[in-house]
Amino acid sequence: MMKSTIFLVLAVLLAPIYAAWILKVKAFFGGRKGSPLLIHYYTLIKLFKKGSVYSTSTTVIFKLGPVISFCAATMVLMFVPIAGQAPLFSFNGDVILLLYLLGLGRFFTIAAAMDTASPFEGMGAAREAYFPIICEATLFMTLILFYLLSGDLNLAAFFSGGQPMGLWQAAGVPLLFVVIALFIVLLTENSRVPVDDPATHLELTMIHEVMVLDHSGPDFAFIELGSFFKLFFYSTLVTRLVCPFTSGHPAVDAVVFFGCMALVYTAIGVTESVMARYRMDKVPKFVLTSFALVFFATVITLEFVK
Amino acid sequence: MNQFFLAILVIGCGGILPLFLWRQFALMKAVGVLAIGGGCLLGLVDAWAKLSSPVSDAIVFSYLGNFSLAFSMDTLSAFFLIVIFGVSLLAAIYSFHYMSNAQKAMRTAAHYLFFSLLVAAMALVVTAANLITFILAWEIMSLSSFFLVIYNYEAAENRKAGYLYFIFSQVGAMFILAAFGIIYAQSGSFAFKEAAALSESAKILVFVLAFIGFGSKAGVFPFHVWLPHAHPAASSHISAVMSGVMIKTGIYGIVRIYALLDWHTVIFGDIVLIAGMLSGVLGVVYALGQHDIKRLLAYHSVENIGIILIGIGIGMIGVAAGKPVMAVLGFSGGLLHVLNHALFKSLLFMGAGMVLHQTGSRAIDRLGGLIKKMRVTGTTFLIGSLAICGLPPFNGFVSEFLVYMGGFNGVALSGSDFALSLLGIISLAIIGGLALACFTKVVGVVFQGEPRSAVARDAEEKGIMMLVPMVVLAAVCIVIGVFPTLFMTMALKAVASAGLGYGRIPMEPFIVMTANITRAAALFFTLLLLVLALRSLLYRAKTVTSSGTWGCGFTQPTVKMQYTGSSYAASILEFFQPAAPLSESHSPIKGRFPTGTHYHSHIHDLAEKQMEPLVVKPVLWLFDKLRWLQHGDIHLYIGYILLAIVLLLFFV
Repeated sequence: MMKSTIFLVLAVLLAPIYAAWILKVKAFFGGRKGSPLLIHYYTLIKLFKKGSVYSTSTTVIFKLGPVISFCAATMVLMFVPIAGQAPLFSFNGDVILLLYLLGLGRFFTIAAAMDTASPFEGMGAAREAYFPIICEATLFMTLILFYLLSGDLNLAAFFSGGQPMGLWQAAGVPLLFVVIALFIVLLTENSRVPVDDPATHLELTMIHEVMVLDHSGPDFAFIELGSFFKLFFYSTLVTRLVCPFTSGHPAVDAVVFFGCMALVYTAIGVTESVMARYRMDKVPKFVLTSFALVFFATVITLEFVK
Repeated sequence: MNQFFLAILVIGCGGILPLFLWRQFALMKAVGVLAIGGGCLLGLVDAWAKLSSPVSDAIVFSYLGNFSLAFSMDTLSAFFLIVIFGVSLLAAIYSFHYMSNAQKAMRTAAHYLFFSLLVAAMALVVTAANLITFILAWEIMSLSSFFLVIYNYEAAENRKAGYLYFIFSQVGAMFILAAFGIIYAQSGSFAFKEAAALSESAKILVFVLAFIGFGSKAGVFPFHVWLPHAHPAASSHISAVMSGVMIKTGIYGIVRIYALLDWHTVIFGDIVLIAGMLSGVLGVVYALGQHDIKRLLAYHSVENIGIILIGIGIGMIGVAAGKPVMAVLGFSGGLLHVLNHALFKSLLFMGAGMVLHQTGSRAIDRLGGLIKKMRVTGTTFLIGSLAICGLPPFNGFVSEFLVYMGGFNGVALSGSDFALSLLGIISLAIIGGLALACFTKVVGVVFQGEPRSAVARDAEEKGIMMLVPMVVLAAVCIVIGVFPTLFMTMALKAVASAGLGYGRIPMEPFIVMTANITRAAALFFTLLLLVLALRSLLYRAKTVTSSGTWGCGFTQPTVKMQYTGSSYAASILEFFQPAAPLSESHSPIKGRFPTGTHYHSHIHDLAEKQMEPLVVKPVLWLFDKLRWLQHGDIHLYIGYILLAIVLLLFFV
């Protein structure tokens, strides 16, 4: 319990720094020095200090949006085994609850965007509603595969304890597909290139960024922090699949885990640096690829491994 | 059963008395509402007691000679009775202010008659204990709801909707009658319990026929064509009852016939599950493409019936595969979704009814910004939307969670059971995502943003009797979402009489799941309160100003520039193109200073589109060929009757 709490606090504190690491990687590819690793902390502190401007079109839903999406993301972190430690909370079927909680966060993010009556935000909201549908199918397909392999349905069983899912076990080879698929889902759900460009400056091409255009001050800080947590959650899944090892000593585990996390974030940064974003109508095909990959992984597991 | 029949009697009074009181409009409404509501309350209390401490209760009336009327109440009936009486009670209260046109006093009185008949008939359907009683109650239910659908018969589209509904319900009843005919032919008895003695091939035939019949009432794809027409045509509280409750009698029929046949074959499960997946996914895709809010909600009924059937199908497969946990999870999830859908769908229809009542418009793209003027309606509609999307901590999540758990249990099976369980889970996931897209569209376009027309701008909230039921329903949606244990127990008790052959079902493993949901909800609310407190702390002594929405540099925004529901749904619909053909008409923009243009889109329902060439045309052709039989000569008609009787006497 104590250890889990420490790891959770560590995750919460490191999430903004990891997100800044992506910027560093991108700066490296751009031949720049890049902003400091604590940049997101500076931004958050700045935002928390500010007041807000609310659009006259908005209602209380607009103010609830950031809070609820932040709560959802935080709660998800509480159920994730970090560095192979048992999470704070866990029960049979908690994954379903978590995916639907992220859905709740998405509902309110979209509702907050629609509250502003802005056509651009509506456009972003429509995309935000569209792509995750396919992601959800992929994630549930992954759950089916994990359930087949472990006979359990909670994150703690998948990623901590004696028999975590991992690339390097007997049944692990098809999991390579799952890793790629989860990486695609990670890019999509967290609005990264090639689905969305967090650094873009044209409202027409944005997805997530355009939806939060009207938020400001502490509300916007909650949104930012929530999105760091969400990215951390998906990265944890990928990391634990690639690196399922635990030594039994928490400090060693922590170093290995957070090191591997840095690798996953580097991979995101490299992807962002070497790829352009897809045309909007190509995105569904890209996301659908992830579903096909997990589906193949399941078929292979059923036919050859088990 | 005495209290039950007393309830029916009181409800009946609520139908008959208004006929004599129609000159005093308000009094007539009050009497109708009080009697129907009071009767529903009586029945609700009785059903609750019967479900809490189950006693087998049966009664037989033999007024009709050989055709005795038999009623019995087991836990399955009691469960459905709770849904029927609960929603009808609230709908009756809602009707008091909704039926506000004193010019149509006589018609309103007639409406109360048919409303009371509908409620009574639904209650009789789920308590009927033999074939004759069942089909009798079923027909009263279909006919009374038909008259309620054509309440506004002046509009041609409503007459068409009524006609379509009439045909579908009668053809559906024919299928049920055929199924019952087979049971009678083989068993020689009208009693329900004789059905278990049928041969296996007969059982398959009976189940398939009954499934088509009940499915057409429930709105299972492709027999749902009447549903998106009939629900918008009826008054909103009637839509709430029809969509929330009446179509569930179809589900009751399917579960009951499964229990009666008492044959745990996997074929039944496969049929139900496949039909459920089709209805679920296609229902929500078609819903996404609708421009009429009540039509959109009607398609969501198709979707939710799909979810219920996925649950029940998983349950049936579980029974056949000898996996009790999977079976109970599937059935209880499906039945709990019956209750949940009744709650949030009637809430949503009442909300849409309030919008329609105040703005006179059902067109999603003409509304906007309503939550500012209609706070209660907007908030409760938002809660209903969250619940129908299956999001925690609302009631829709609980039942979907149980169905998911059942499905995951099924994944451990092999062969077709594995494949179907897998598809069931994936369909549920896709349905969840699409429903979220659809209801962010409805809430976002209708209740948020800026008003798109004058009627939306001037809308306001009126009628306390309309608001109370919505608040009650929204509260129940949250209560079930946070404390599902009691309701799960109810569903489990109902499952006990669904003929799974388990005897007593242990509650403990399932209560653990619902307790976990309660814990998670408590955690979420704690977190939410903490963050809200933090937020108010952060905003203390800060300057908070308001200004226009950021127009990306454009200084002259108009409300017309807002994203519409059609544009919101366009790209998702394109993804489902072959299953949901979209036709658009759009006159191109010409010249430097373009004048007015228009855009119209319509999404075709595959079943409706194919019905014309595949069913209507061949049937018309056939009857055209048989026209010579109908020559108008009365002598020959009498001859037909004689001939028919003689043939029946000799050969049957």
